[in-house]
Order: sequence, then C-alpha cells, then structure tokens
Amino acid sequence: MSHHYLEFRNVRYRYPGGQEALCGISLRITHGEKVALAGVNGAGKSTLLLHTDGLLMPSEGEVIVGGVTLRRQTLRLVRQSVGVVFQNPDDQLFMPTVEEDVAFGPANMGLSPDEIEARVARALESVGASALRHRAPHTLSGGQKRSVAIAAVLAMEPSVLVLDEPTAALDPRARRQVIELLRGFDHTMIVATHDMDMIGELCPRTIVMARGRIVADGPTRQVFADRAEVESWGLEPPRNR
Amino acid sequence: MTRRLENVLAALDSLEGAARDRSPLHGLDARAKLLVAAVFLASMLSVPLERASQVLLYAVFPALAAAAANIRYRTLLRRSTFVLPLVVLIGVFDVFTLRAPLFVVGPVVVTQGWGRLLVLALRAMLSVQALLVLTETTGIYRICCGLRRLGIPALFTAQLLLVYRYLYVLIEESISLVRARDARSFGRKGYPLRIWGTLVGQLLIRSVERAERIGRAMYARGFTGELPAMPYGTSRWTRRDTVFAIVWSAALLALRFLRPVEALAIWIMD
Repeated sequence: MSHHYLEFRNVRYRYPGGQEALCGISLRITHGEKVALAGVNGAGKSTLLLHTDGLLMPSEGEVIVGGVTLRRQTLRLVRQSVGVVFQNPDDQLFMPTVEEDVAFGPANMGLSPDEIEARVARALESVGASALRHRAPHTLSGGQKRSVAIAAVLAMEPSVLVLDEPTAALDPRARRQVIELLRGFDHTMIVATHDMDMIGELCPRTIVMARGRIVADGPTRQVFADRAEVESWGLEPPRNR
Repeated sequence: MTRRLENVLAALDSLEGAARDRSPLHGLDARAKLLVAAVFLASMLSVPLERASQVLLYAVFPALAAAAANIRYRTLLRRSTFVLPLVVLIGVFDVFTLRAPLFVVGPVVVTQGWGRLLVLALRAMLSVQALLVLTETTGIYRICCGLRRLGIPALFTAQLLLVYRYLYVLIEESISLVRARDARSFGRKGYPLRIWGTLVGQLLIRSVERAERIGRAMYARGFTGELPAMPYGTSRWTRRDTVFAIVWSAALLALRFLRPVEALAIWIMD
C-alpha cells in the first residue's frame, strides 16, 4: 500500500505577523514508518503537524499525502487519510458521551449508522476503552481521555496517524499503556514529543527541528549518537536507545 | 469565587447526568418533548398579565413533568429562581406607574403594578422550569438533534451546541485564572477594578485561543459547519410520542382558551 506516505516539499510557513515558523521543510515518510519529531519548544513541531492535515496551509511549497497534493479542494480527502491526535484531549473531546465523540469523525464522513457503530466499537476496543462508552469525557482520568482521543481518530481509519505529545501529563502507568498501544499500530506514524525515552522505544527514525528547520533526520540511534550535538539542540539522548 | 464556579460546573454535570437516567419522560422522542415545551411556552406566555389565576394553573405542568421524570420539584424551583433579578429589572417600573389597588389582604394593599410583577415572575419561573425539565430529561445534544429534525437550520442547532460547549470552556478557564490569582494574593480579598479588567481580558484571550484549538480538532475530524447525523442522538418516533404530544398539547390549549378558573367561578356564582 504505497499510498500511505507523507511528503513535504520545501514547505515554508509564515504566521500572519510575518514571523517564519517553517523555513523550507522537506521530508518523506513512507508506509508503516514510525517517525519521532523532536525539538525544543518553539522549534516548529506543532506548526509542522498542523500542515499534515491542512489545518494550516503552506505559504510556499507542497504537502503531499498519499499522492494527493494538499489544496483547499482536496482538504476533505486529505483529512480522511490523516488522523491528528492533539496535545490536550480536553480540546478534542467535546461531545456529551465517549461513544458520541468517537462517532463524530465517522459521522462527518457520511457513513451509514451501522458502519458508524461498528467503527466506534472497533476503535474503542482497540484502545481498551469499550467500558467507557457511555461516560462523559470530562469525568475520565488523563490516561482514559488520551485513549479515547486516540480512538476518536482511529474510528476514521486514517492511513497516517499524527500525534502531538501523546504521553504529556500522563502518570507512568498510563504513559506505558499509550506507548504499548502505539507500538501495536501498523499505521504510518509521526509523533511530536519531548519524551526522549518514548522516542527510543517507539520510533526507529527521528527528525530533529530547530528554529523552523530540520537539523537532523535519520535512524534514531544515529541521530542521537553525538551527545554534544544533541545538547546543542537543547535535547537529551534517550536512555534506552 | 472558584467554589461558586465549581458549583456551576457540578450543576451542569448533574444536568447532563440526569439526561441519561430512565423515566417515562426520558424515554420519549426529543421532538415530542420539544413540541410540548413550545406549546407550553406559547400558551402560558400569551395569557394576559391580569389573569393571575390562569397563569398559576400552568404551574401544574412542570410539577407533573418533574414527577414523571423523577426530578425533585424543590430543586427545580430553586434553580428557576435565578431569573428573578431579570424579572425585577423588567417589571419594576410597573410598580411605580400602576398604583391603583388590585386587592387587599388584611392591612396590605396590593397595587396593579405589584400584581403584574408577581405574575411576570411566575411566568418567568415556569418557563425556566419547563426548559429545565426538557434539558434534564433529554440532554443538550439530543435537543439539538431534535431541533434539527424538526427543520430548524443546522446553523442554529450547531451554534446552540457550541455555545453550550463553550460554557464549560469559559468556566474552566475562569477557575484556573482565579486560582492562579488567589495563589499569589495571600488572603487578600478585594481587588481594584484595574485587576478585574486584566482578568476579564485574559479570560477572553484564553477562551478564544482554546476555542481555536477545539475548532481545529473538529475540523481535523471532518467537521463542515453542520452537526452530522449520529446513530446515538436520534430515536424513533413511536405511538407513545404521538399520544404524549397530543394529550399534553390539548390540555395546555384547553387551559389557555377554556379558562377553567373563570368558568368555575361563573358556575359557582350561578
């Protein structure tokens, strides 16, 4: 399935204020790859993630998802194949119950009620949250919210999964569960994170960003080989690489 | 302050929680309840202010509905009193302008203005009670779906749901703002207007930013500005719904047009 790839071609993005957040990003992530996106706060990770789903449009350059170039006309298509899990699940979960929230994406795709219900059941099952179906999202624990937010995106059956800080603010056990969950997926995956140990465990490839540019891209082991260089990016190497 | 805001959040929660209970009223289709609520409001609000006894009879309906939905009427009554300040604002001028005596209870002379104010308050409280019963037995999401299926444009129903969602956002953001302020104010109680101004400004900025993030998350899941049809929010219209809508609407309209109190009074005097 060669269409599960994500490509940035010399993407530049300027915020309305004129500040350049992405200064010529080129990358290609192919089918089934799990890629970490590392970099200090303000390096442009989140801005890059927002480009994968057309939530921001490049000022220059192209974003291509599975052979489809991101344009206003192709937004719908692209959003069906890219699923974004946002940093704060509270921003993502807004329907009164878990099952309705998970159904929101599939319902927007115009699927039949039976298909929606089947997908909701499958998605909740795959994150181990079937028992939470009828709960109100804001009564869940941090880890449960994260699982449900991931299920809500899985229910759209995207081919590329984009996650922003999936382990932020989780207790050790919940963090472990999320990592195991992500490890079990065979989606093409891009994970922006400061959790260096998760990178070591989960992602064979790492892209490092600094001031809107890619400063390193390669096998995780190699990228973090030179400790002095890693520290110059403001990062630390994973302990378990 | 945070305590009070948290109470509001808890009340909203219990409202949503109550909507998932089971009772004869919970089981009805949202459209049937919406129709009856609309008939209730239209018929009660169209009774002239002078006919206090007739308005008073309408109090039977929220009480009946509350009983059918396992809601304590006392809670309903307490919650409905929050509109009273608004009513006073509207009706207070009548008290000063309409000073002709309406009736006398012992030494107390009730003027027309006071009479109107009381009926106004009654109407407002009954309206709120009816809407509370509707929300507590249906849930805001199903109400929106019901309105949509009754032909209300998607623009309005989506707005209604989002306004409701942002109520939570606003309260949550206020709580964290006030907490942050209290943590550094060492027991100080009053604040000058200048600080309130900054707080309110902060609240606006924060909630706009949060709204933007929520919007993004919705668009990322294919939101197009219209709430999608869900397999969960919709129920089927059954014969029970038809019976409920017809019987209650008929009773409400009978109360409005047949004026049973006056009919009874005339019959007694004859």
